[in-house]
This record gives sequence, structure tokens and C-alpha cells, in this order.
Amino acid sequence: MKSKRPLPVLWILVIVGLAVLPFVTPGTYVIGVMCFVAFYATLACGMAVLLEQAGLFSLAAPTFFGLGAYVAGILAAREILPPWAGIIVAAVVVAAIAYVIGAPLLRLRGYYLACATFGLLFIVEIALAQSGEITGGHDGLIGIPPLSVFGFTLRGDLHYYFVSWGFCLGCLWFFFNLMSSRVGRAVRALHDSEIAASTVSINVARCKLHVFVLTAVMASVAGSLYCFYLQFTTPSMFGFPLLVELFTMIVIGGATTLYGPVLGAVVLIWLREAIHVYLKGILPKLTAEVDAVFFGVLIVAILIFMPEGLAGGLDRLAHFGRRLLGKSA
Amino acid sequence: MASQPDSVLLDVQNLSRSFAGIHALNVVSFSVEPGRITSVIGPNGAGKSTLINVITGVYTPDSGGISFAGKNIAALPAHVVASKGIARTFQLEELFSSMTVIENAMTGCHGKSRSGMLACGFALPSARREEKRIHDEAMECLTMVGLEEKASEPISRLPLGERKLVGIARALCMKPSFLMLDEPAGGLAGHEVERLVGLIHSLLEQGLTILLVEHNMPFVMSLSEKIVVLDAGVKIAEGPPETVKNDERVIKAYLGQEL
Amino acid sequence: MTLLSETVQYAISGITAGSIYAVIGICWSVVYLITKVLNFTTGEFVMLGGMLTWAFHSMGFGLLPSVLFAVTCTIAISMLLERLVIRPIRFPTEMTYMMLTIASASVIKGLVLLQWGSESRRIEPFFGTAVIHVLGAGVTPQVLCVVAMMALITLGLHLFLNHTLFGTALRASAINQTGAKLVGIDIGRFRLFCFGLAGGLGAVTGIVTAPITFTGYEIGLLTGLKGLVAAIAGGWSMTGTVAAALALGLLEGFGAGFVSSGLKDVFALLVMILFLILQTISLPGMRRR
Repeated sequence: MKSKRPLPVLWILVIVGLAVLPFVTPGTYVIGVMCFVAFYATLACGMAVLLEQAGLFSLAAPTFFGLGAYVAGILAAREILPPWAGIIVAAVVVAAIAYVIGAPLLRLRGYYLACATFGLLFIVEIALAQSGEITGGHDGLIGIPPLSVFGFTLRGDLHYYFVSWGFCLGCLWFFFNLMSSRVGRAVRALHDSEIAASTVSINVARCKLHVFVLTAVMASVAGSLYCFYLQFTTPSMFGFPLLVELFTMIVIGGATTLYGPVLGAVVLIWLREAIHVYLKGILPKLTAEVDAVFFGVLIVAILIFMPEGLAGGLDRLAHFGRRLLGKSA
Repeated sequence: MASQPDSVLLDVQNLSRSFAGIHALNVVSFSVEPGRITSVIGPNGAGKSTLINVITGVYTPDSGGISFAGKNIAALPAHVVASKGIARTFQLEELFSSMTVIENAMTGCHGKSRSGMLACGFALPSARREEKRIHDEAMECLTMVGLEEKASEPISRLPLGERKLVGIARALCMKPSFLMLDEPAGGLAGHEVERLVGLIHSLLEQGLTILLVEHNMPFVMSLSEKIVVLDAGVKIAEGPPETVKNDERVIKAYLGQEL
Repeated sequence: MTLLSETVQYAISGITAGSIYAVIGICWSVVYLITKVLNFTTGEFVMLGGMLTWAFHSMGFGLLPSVLFAVTCTIAISMLLERLVIRPIRFPTEMTYMMLTIASASVIKGLVLLQWGSESRRIEPFFGTAVIHVLGAGVTPQVLCVVAMMALITLGLHLFLNHTLFGTALRASAINQTGAKLVGIDIGRFRLFCFGLAGGLGAVTGIVTAPITFTGYEIGLLTGLKGLVAAIAGGWSMTGTVAAALALGLLEGFGAGFVSSGLKDVFALLVMILFLILQTISLPGMRRR
């Protein structure tokens, strides 16, 4: 498990690359896809932190993502609050929910926490679908206005591209700082030995709860931004298929590093786009189903043959390269 | 409840704890004087590790009391006990295997530091300052145990003897007033045991109170000022090494028969 | 309908559902106890049983041959799962197994969807559609078939596990794998057997239920999850699972009938979560750790 900070030069490369991308690609197709990548990457990153760093088997990320989207979406669509306020209210609501259910849930160990959060996924999805008057039911919520901040309205892929990637990189930066700090060590200690953690005066239950609420809030904000980007949401967007996608991203990119899931998101979504384009000629209507099969096979293959994912492989390459350079210097 | 806080640091009174009907600790009482080293010995299964676990709050006692510096700590959870200045090492290390040596030591500083999640995540200056302080303190503790060279090594690369020292360094970073060592000499080679003895002496000189749980008789006899002997959860002897060594019940417990 | 007949009707549907969950719960337990894998594909076996039977039947095979083909295929798929997916993992962790089985469930679901589309399918009831009336509520032969099947399977498994050499050996490996290996038990074969058994039992459940509830690509997940709830609530033991499953089914039946049928799935899941959490709370008088 590494939380070595990447060199500042890498950050700069990534930021410059992302900033330049809209101007070197024609139209808005690439930018639009990258928006999705950013949202999913943020989610996957938070989920991976819980799974790998804290050792918490929580599958709750899609649930909080969906709650963030729906709360902000409903508040904005009913014109109860402006979108930017909706984001904040949604985050607070989700934080409260995460706080309340987290305390009992996080006492569950291993598999049982996974089962409980898996169940939560379905509960929320069904509840959303059944509450037709408030949420629009199965068909979803429509008529969500776009986000506007200080009078500037964000419309179109380009605006949300910068917002989503800004948020994603911000979260990533936050996690890098956190995981190499005192709090980060406490979180990693949870994964390694809870008993030893408590004997160095780490309050295990509180630490788990805090990191759980943190990732929940991140997922919520991502969800709120997502709903303003799409301007509609449906319950099925936040259920089992999203979970499988997030798993795939985490597995492809590798969970042992913080940037792995982001890498996994980029790779996975572009791979999916490629397949959709390829399939358009052959099976025009069944792309979502093919996704499910494709992702599943990919997860299995990677877990068997390359369990550390891309980031793990890259890390090993970097280590190898450093040793090579060290020897020749 | 509490006795004279000046002459007794830890007071264990009639402590009992059972697991599935088996008395791991059966009305055990003894006290630990400040600034001295007290040892707890006994054959396998005597309840020595359970004793440490109950004192540190990993298990709650079924009955009995524990007072530390005059305050009752028997019902407190482990992290609260730790924050009162009680540190321990583990028989099976329980190090944080995903971290390096110095990161393990730095976790010991957790209780004495304050930076919260938001301060650390946003890399506020106060958090960064505290991180530096923690780093320096951890290096001091590593130097005390002689591992400063290996600070950035991942734990998995260290041999057993050095891993045990990391455990001690981590405990020292807590700046404890009371340190409990659970079989620190287990699995160590001769020269490593000598190094450990030297370390314990220097810790005593700094005023630390030590409770040593050990199996290794020569090690215990040479170091301890007071020895408590447990057998099957019951205290069967207490006193200076010479007295305990010649106690019939102790000999019988270890050898299973009278000599 | 009078209140009594309504209650009886809901109870009947509850017991039917409970019987299904009981067998599915047993499928989860059998695999989990021997291989320590929480097999999220269990629900898909149930789905495959029904779907494959419908598929073969609509290809022109008779009902009985279709059933046999379907069960065989599902057993084969389950064993393939163990061999190709579970076995090759070098450093298995709980998380890895969970991801693998969820991924496999996704694959199976997707393939079924691709092949046969998303409409619900129906198989004709095995013994005709005559309705028997009990206390004003209607019972179909199919329902009796489901309950009978559950009873038979439970009894059969009990006899098998406790009164045959193979069954005893299985129980031994569940308790202590190393010890089992030391007395010459081939754990690999046992794991394969357990997966196959789970596949077969799941398929049978799906087939027997298909005439009542429709079968379709999406039923696997939720039904499987409820079986898991029963297994967890029953403490992974057979009697416990059956009892928990029946309780769950009844709760669902009454909840759906008297409260709201849209939210009936939510009940089961809430029960599971509640039960999991209650297990961790120590009552006053119990020891911490």
C-alpha cells in the first residue's frame, strides 16, 4: 500500500494535459466522455480508499452518489433552492445519513459490511423508484436546471469538464495529503491491525466513521454535480451496474495506489466507448448488456492475471526503472 | 479504592476474567511501583497476555479493579487507556505491515497530536508543522532503539529482532509513563537479548515504569526488582527474584512436580 | 375476501417464498462453509434454472427433458465457475472473491439478456392450474410443489450430510480444512462438488418457482440476496437457514399484502441489515470482546 506522493512534475503534466485537451479535440464528444470519467473516477477513488486503505468493505459509494444527485436535483427542479445551495444541502443530508447509519454498520466486519451496504444499494434504488411523487419514480427526475454560480451558468460539456475534473483532482490532492499525514496513518492502521491501532490511542470506531462520512460527502457532491450536468437522473443509474463499473475501474487501475482508480476510470470508459463504436454496426441496441458481460470478464481476467492492476504494474515499472538508473548512475 | 498514589503507579485488585468458562485470570492482585521494573512470569497459559490485555482495555474484566495513578481504568476502552500514558508491545508484534519503520513509530505519536481530517487533507500549515514534529520525535525513538538507519524500510524487510524493536519504538513515541512489554525477548538471539537488556536499563534510567511479561527466566531474573508469578490464572508468588526463585510453588508450576 | 382468507393467502405466498429462500440460503451456506467464498452468483443459478428450462422448452423439447438439461447446464456452469474463476486466484482475499463472483453474476446476467432479451418468460405449471381452496384462500399445486421440494431437499441434505461417508467428510472439511487434507480428503474435489451442488439446487429452485413468479434475466440478484439474508440470519446452519427463510418469507408476504407490494423487497433487505447489526451489539451483561 503506497501513499508516496507523486512528483509535482506529474501533477503539472496531468493538469496541463487536461487543460489543453478541449482545444486539441474536435467538437465536444471527447470532453463529454471525459466528464463521465471524472465523476466516476472520483467515486472509484473514494471507494478504493475505503476498501484498500481503511480495510472497510463498503459498497455504499453508488448509494451516496445517487442520494447526492437526487437531493440536489429535487431541490433544484422544484425550485426550492438554487443548484449551488442544493449541492451543499445534499452534502449535509448525506453526511448526516452516513453518520447515523455508519455508526452501527461499521461495526460489521469484512463480508458482512459488504452484504449490508450491498443491501443498502437496493433499498435506496427501490425506495427512489417507488416514491413517484417526489422523485419521479422509475422514469426519473427531469427538468433539473443547470448549475449557476455567482450568476455564471454552467452549460454544456466544456464547463462541466472543468468543474468535474477540478473536483476530481481536488479530491485526489486531498487524499494524497490525508493519507501521508497523521490521520492517514490512523486510517491505514485500521486496515493492518485494529488492536494495535487502539493501543496507540487511535479511536478505531470514530476513525472508521470519519473516513466513511468523508467518502460519502465526496460521492454526494460528485452526484450533485452529475445531476446538474445531465439535467436528469433515474434510480437505475445508481444501482448494481454502477457498482460493477466501479469495481472494474478499481481492479483495472489497481487499488493499492490513490491514482489507480482514476487511471482505471479513464481506461475503462474509453474502452467501453471503443466497444460501443465497434458494436454500433453489429448490435445497435444491446450495448448496455454487452457492457455487463465485458466488465465482468475483464474483472475476472485482471484479478487472475494482473491482480495489482495497471497502477501496480506501473509502480513496479517505475521501481524497476529507478533501480536501473540507480545502478548506472 | 486507590492506594497511596506516590508509591504505587498501577494497582490491580482482585482481577478476574474468564473465556468460555475457563478462568484466564482468577482474583489476581498486585501492584507496580513507579520507576521500577516489575515482571510477570508463569508457564504457558498462565494468563500473562490476558493480564496485559485486560489492563490495556482490550478486554473488560469480569470483576475486580485496576487503578492507574489513583484513577480507575478498569472499564475504559483501549484507546482511552492508551491516552492515559500506558503503552504496550505485543507478543506477536502487531505492527502495521503496510507502513515503513518510521511510519509505524509515528503512529505512536497519534495520541499526542491534534491535526484533524480537514487540516491534514488541506495540508494546512498547522498540520504540516505537527507532522514535522511527529517525524522528529519518531526519529528520536528509533535512535533510542538503534534503528535510525532503517527508518524508511518497509516492515516486511526487517528480521524479527528488529521488528520487535520497532514495536518498542512505537510504544516509546507515546511518551508513556508506564510501559508493558509482552514477551519482548521471544525468538531473539543472544546478542539481541543483550541489546534489549541495555535498552530496558536506559529506559528505567529515564524514569519509565516497566511491566515485563516474559518466559525467558535468566532474562527476567537479571532485570527485575519484583516478580509476580501466575499459574493457570492465579497468582502463586510475589517478591524479589531470590525469593521467587526458591519458592516451592513456583518450581512446581514450572516443573510440574516437587524437586 | 375476508380478513381470515386474506391472512391465509398472504401466509401461503409467504411460505412459498420462504421455501425458495430456504433452499437458496442452503446453496450459499454449502459453498461458504466449505470454500469460504461468498458466492454472489448463487442467485444467477436460480435464474438460469428457470430461463434455460424455458429456452429448451421453446426449442421444442418436452418439459421434463428441458428441466434435466437446464439443471445439468447450471451444474456445469457452476463447476466451471469454481475451476476457471475461483481456483486460479493466487492470493485470495475476501474482497477478491466477492468481486469475482459479482463479476461472474454480471457476465451470466448479461449473456442471458443478450441471448434471450429482457422480457419475462413463463413456464406452464407442472400439474395443471386447478386451485384448491383452504380457508377461503387459493392454493395451486405448484405452490405445494415448491414447499414439498424444499422439504425434500432439506431432508435429503440432512441425511446425506449426517449419514453418509461423503457427507461426513464434507462436514469435516468445513470445520477444519487442514485436518481434512491430512486424512486424505481431496479438498479440490469437494469444492467442485459444493459448487455443483449449489448450482443444481439453485436451478431446481428456479425451475419450480418459474410457473408462479415469472422468470427473467434480472431476478437473480434480489432473490439470491434474500437467500443470503436467510443464511446469515440462520447462522449458516441448515435448520437456522430454513427457519429464518420461512420467517423472512412470511414477513414479506404480510408486508406486501397489508402494507405495500412495491416495497416488499425492501423489507427483506432491512431485515438483513438489522440482523447483521444486532449481532454486533452486546447486551448488558454480555462481555465486550
